[in-house]
Amino acid sequence: MTTFALTELLGAPVFDTGGSRCGRVRELGLIPQEDRARIAVLIVKTGSGNRILPFGSVTSMESGIRTDIPVANWARGDGSEGMLLLERDLLDQQVIDVFGRKVVRVNDLDLQQESSGNRPVLRVGSVDVGPRGAVRRLLKGVVPLLALRALLRQIPPRSIPWDFVDLIETDPARRVKLKISHDRLAKLHPADIADIVEDLAPDEREAVFETLNEEVAAGALEEVDPKVQKAIVESLDSDRAADIVEEMEPDAAADLLADLPEERTSEILLEMQPQERKEMVELLEFKENTAAGRMNPEYLAVHVAGSVHDAVEALRHFEGGVETVSTVYLVDSHGTLAGAVPLAKLVLAKPDTPLLSLTQEPLISTHAGAREKEVAELFDKYNLMTLPVVDDNKKLTGVITSDDIISLLRANL
Amino acid sequence: MAKFWKRWKVRILLFFAVVGPGFITANVDNDAGGIWTYSAAGAQFGHMLLWTMIPITVALIVVQEICARMGAVTGKGLSDLIREEFGFRITFLMMIGLVIVNFGNVVTEFAGIAGSLELFGLNKYYTVPVCAVIVWLIVVRGQYKTVEKVFLAASFFYLTYIVAGFLAKPAWLEALEATVVPPHKEMFLRQDYLYMVIGVVGTTIAPWMQFYLQASVVEKGVTRRQYKASQLDVIAGCIFTDTVAWFIIVACASTLYVHGYHNITSAKEAAEALQPLAEKYAYILFAVGLFNASLFAASILPLSTAYAVCEGLGFESGVGKKFGEAPVFYWLYTILIVAGAGVILMPNIPLVKISILSQVINGVVLPFVLVFMLLLVNKPTVMGEYVNSRLYNVVAWATTVIMVGLTLAWFWTLRSG
Repeated sequence: MTTFALTELLGAPVFDTGGSRCGRVRELGLIPQEDRARIAVLIVKTGSGNRILPFGSVTSMESGIRTDIPVANWARGDGSEGMLLLERDLLDQQVIDVFGRKVVRVNDLDLQQESSGNRPVLRVGSVDVGPRGAVRRLLKGVVPLLALRALLRQIPPRSIPWDFVDLIETDPARRVKLKISHDRLAKLHPADIADIVEDLAPDEREAVFETLNEEVAAGALEEVDPKVQKAIVESLDSDRAADIVEEMEPDAAADLLADLPEERTSEILLEMQPQERKEMVELLEFKENTAAGRMNPEYLAVHVAGSVHDAVEALRHFEGGVETVSTVYLVDSHGTLAGAVPLAKLVLAKPDTPLLSLTQEPLISTHAGAREKEVAELFDKYNLMTLPVVDDNKKLTGVITSDDIISLLRANL
Repeated sequence: MAKFWKRWKVRILLFFAVVGPGFITANVDNDAGGIWTYSAAGAQFGHMLLWTMIPITVALIVVQEICARMGAVTGKGLSDLIREEFGFRITFLMMIGLVIVNFGNVVTEFAGIAGSLELFGLNKYYTVPVCAVIVWLIVVRGQYKTVEKVFLAASFFYLTYIVAGFLAKPAWLEALEATVVPPHKEMFLRQDYLYMVIGVVGTTIAPWMQFYLQASVVEKGVTRRQYKASQLDVIAGCIFTDTVAWFIIVACASTLYVHGYHNITSAKEAAEALQPLAEKYAYILFAVGLFNASLFAASILPLSTAYAVCEGLGFESGVGKKFGEAPVFYWLYTILIVAGAGVILMPNIPLVKISILSQVINGVVLPFVLVFMLLLVNKPTVMGEYVNSRLYNVVAWATTVIMVGLTLAWFWTLRSG
């Protein structure tokens, strides 16, 4: 198996069936709909303009490209429709390294030649992002080829296998044609996706957020820096933005919507499901710097007379985020807060134990109007993981979790 | 005291909420190199360089606006765009050039630090290393944003030149006439005059500013929609910086030039220009202003260079990263500071002379940067509907051609003279 660098192949001579030189390689094209890695065409600059040579008709790549179809039969064109062009679309552009979890710039591409039935097959092997590709491009044509190859062998490669490369395409139509998706990116941790997104230009961010599914997009959006977060949501369509906001943790979503221009906020609210919209409007009414502005209205509450078994059942059917369930709250039939049971105690107790016997004393709670600073002090003083928020009638309205407090403290650092 | 400080803090913060990247860039433009060059221009040639101010301002506005627009439309830095559109080799050569030119500018900033503190009788062998360490720490400790605000507030010192210009009772009519009418064409055959013209253009429209401004616009997250505000910000900044430049020249012309001090060699002499304002305290005012400007620019220049180079060539960059995560970025930053300060520590180095030389090099390199900017901003694939208008292209290409012409003319006078 031989490896070629893309920049070595660009400009390589192409020979006609008769053996005379008829042009030079101008571009290499993939058709991702058929195969994501196999080179499908060469675009050759000939005396009569650019022509497309299907790679299947290449017979040899030894010292120049040879084929068995005469030049006159190659279609004319630059072949951009439905094709990924390696030089134009990849070389020097930014791509996402899904394995290394960062944005990198492409210095060169390594292409691997295999053969099938005497004909060469060329596949993209990896993307070179290290000094080897850089030196090759800097010195190509300046230093004699053999000396350059000897030098390049000394430089350790730094490359990303093609399977771990995610492309960024800002044109939605082209994205569909080229089958560009972010399935691999979507598998990363939301915080890593957020870091990657922050490194991109605004149009590229928008492209990524249009491609990710709502759930992943929401998770990533929560982790993105608030300034960037705002810019992303403003660039998306209202219905797309609403879909993503619905999937976000309600407190994070409310913080985000509160930062947007009012007009934009109402556009997004209108596109949301009635249930989520109602919840969000309620949250938005709270002042941002109070306990209520930080709380999550989705929490786990069980009737005060219930048993451990009831609590576990409720836990099974709970749809909110996992960070709020580290404590199960007890409420009476009016919804008034009556106690708190840590998950750990619940796990260790027998199913028929009454919940009231497991409560944590004293019961710490805060009022919806409490200042953020007071809330943070409570967390510090009592080493809390979660803190229930009650209204004027001592009715439980939401829960603040320690991750909210960490974000709050970091923002004030 | 605390209350007083708090009130001022609020005011200053309000001010910076309005002031944008354009104004900041313009302010950094009046760095040590700028102050030396304008002072020398006024002292050596009186009013004879004032005519350059209007064309320079027009060119500066056009050039800066192009950068701000590219930043807002593409969301990418200038070196990123050069890399994506012109490939690795051109980017590499461009970055080598940028590092060399900016190294000259860093040296100039340390010359400003040495010169200003010498006015207080402080020896450069102590002050320069100490300031180099301060500058280095500001960025590595991640305190850059806070410090930027203090520096910028202090840079209002430049207004003192405007006051000094008034108090010097200059020949107003003559100065105004010289602003619109260029001197006799014989002047353009003089080698020292051409040298100074290139220096004045080079210090006002410096190559690094284009990289810095575009990066700041991107960093601030300005988008196409908010772009109109940025345009105003750029224009206001350019007019402010050139008004200050005009007054520096006038102040120096009506003090130093009139009294026959044609050749400034030290900060002490340049400080004389503020004499009408502050009399014997002139040197304090001048020293504080020059020191502030130099220290500010000394932290911005290496940082902006390291960013541009790393982004263009694909190295990890960012003050948020650790040394080990972005080694090239931090090493480049460190070397620029250490070497820049090191040059100034050489005994008997002529501070003013090398400062002006570095600004002339800025002027010589400027056309190369402009050519790439113009090619980029006229590409519909990059800029879409935001490509340059015809008027912009005329002004920007004219600037490019004139700078090449001046440089060639200067080399020609060297040969014959």
